[in-house]
Amino acid sequence: MPTPSSARMHDVTIVSNEPIASDVYSLVIKAPKLAEQIQPGQFVNIRVPGNAMSLLRIPLSYASADPVEGTVEIWYSVVGDGTRRLSQMQPGAQTDLLGPGGKGWNVPESCSRALLVAGGIGAPPIVCLARELSERGIAFDACLGAQTGEKLVGAGELEELGAGEISVSTDDGSLGLEGFCTEPASALLATGEYDYVATCGPEPMMAKVASAAHEAGAYCEASLERMMSCGFGACNTCAVETTSGMQGACMCGPVFNAEEVVW
Amino acid sequence: MSAVNMAVDFGGIKMKNPVNTASGTFGYGWQFQNFFDVSELGAITTKGCAAEPWAGNPKPRMTEVPGGIMNSVGLQNPGVRAFAEESGPFLQDLSDKGTAVICQVAGHSVAEYVAALELFDELCPWAAGFELNVSCPNIAAGGAACGSTPNGAAEVMRACRPVTKKPLLVKMAPVRLPEIARALEAEGADGLTVINSIPGMAIDVHTRRSKLSRPTGGLSGPLLHPIAVRMVWEVANAVQIPVCGVGGVMTGEDAAEFILAGATAVSVGMASFVDPAAPVRILRELEEWAESQGVSDINELRGAFEC
Repeated sequence: MPTPSSARMHDVTIVSNEPIASDVYSLVIKAPKLAEQIQPGQFVNIRVPGNAMSLLRIPLSYASADPVEGTVEIWYSVVGDGTRRLSQMQPGAQTDLLGPGGKGWNVPESCSRALLVAGGIGAPPIVCLARELSERGIAFDACLGAQTGEKLVGAGELEELGAGEISVSTDDGSLGLEGFCTEPASALLATGEYDYVATCGPEPMMAKVASAAHEAGAYCEASLERMMSCGFGACNTCAVETTSGMQGACMCGPVFNAEEVVW
Repeated sequence: MSAVNMAVDFGGIKMKNPVNTASGTFGYGWQFQNFFDVSELGAITTKGCAAEPWAGNPKPRMTEVPGGIMNSVGLQNPGVRAFAEESGPFLQDLSDKGTAVICQVAGHSVAEYVAALELFDELCPWAAGFELNVSCPNIAAGGAACGSTPNGAAEVMRACRPVTKKPLLVKMAPVRLPEIARALEAEGADGLTVINSIPGMAIDVHTRRSKLSRPTGGLSGPLLHPIAVRMVWEVANAVQIPVCGVGGVMTGEDAAEFILAGATAVSVGMASFVDPAAPVRILRELEEWAESQGVSDINELRGAFEC
């Protein structure tokens, strides 16, 4: 039989749940087994109690895991009723989640210099990957984008993790360059210094990054988001169109080889 | 082990208990094996497959609505051959352990249903029976579902009936149920699965676009449970063949409602997305309920509701 999802049910306790930017929260949960297992780019599907009419879990990527403390840190953006209720959960509150799910980043052994490109709440899996690169001794630069400076997350963490250059762009120019982060990303890629690119953010942004990476001859991976019913390969709702047909983001992704995605 | 006999006969399909899974919400079974022992269930119904692979619909395929979800997956499937090859060993083992495996059959025309069923009958010897999903859009009939009229449904059943000696079930669209049920019974259906998802719409008023890639999608979840209970009751009163109740079963009590309304078996659907171990939890709750009713056999409770 094909390989089932690595996801299992975990009971979790909220350690902290604080805003880190405008409408962006950092949620730290106690989940020892998950903290040991989860790999950069994978996701969890968390249950948010409090509304009997809202049944589905919320799929979220994570920013860091601490196997020693047994905790996992998740950054999420408040975009609807579910994430609003999640933002109101207090330390000590308990819930459960399914995870770790999906395929994460797969940085080639031969990678010498990486470019990381994140837009908005696409930052957490990128920060997570930066930690892996840092541990593996692979040099990297980063381009971060957000609607406004108040919504930008991840710059401090990327700096701490040893990013070479960090380019910040905001749509309104309130922080860094005015415009989309695809412009500095394309300029950096044109230098030909990168052999690996990782991107997560709005799909049009990732499509542009993928295209620029292709032109520069760099291998590019993209982390995609889809509406998802189950998160473990049973419902067929999170389909991503690829060169080998429709593939579920929960099992074949969320990280895909960007060359194989039909943008 | 329950003090109550939970075994039921669903149109010739022997089930050790009445709990089944709704096609499309349980993959091919193996997706759930790490969450609970699937062989505890009376039956599973696998996601519909056609003779040839279907790509399904573009994104977005699902949107959440209060009390449920709406989907337009478009029956993405790998085709019967790949299904039998990839999932066959797991399903054979499940069958050996006493869980009936019901395979759902998809098609866009009478000829496609026959072609798919011929392949299923040949390649899936472990299958306990087959369920025809007559709610797929019929290309030859201008996109209306084959099963949306008594004649259309009867035509599919008449063509498929000679293809297999195994029990043949029909997953019914939520339209004209009693008359279509009688037409299917007359053509030799062994059981009816009631109901498929109910067509709905959800519009993003800011962009004026459908929240799905198609104008309409199939609603499922607890929001439609009372409608499904009513429809199961109507069908159970219209035909002699057994009914499997489907629609928004989240708890053992929801399942019990279907039994009291006249269902022989009950399928768990959307609940499995939220809690992958829901089917076995619902089975335990159903057993407790049957015990609480003071009967020795759950079959005594079928249709036992009083007004």
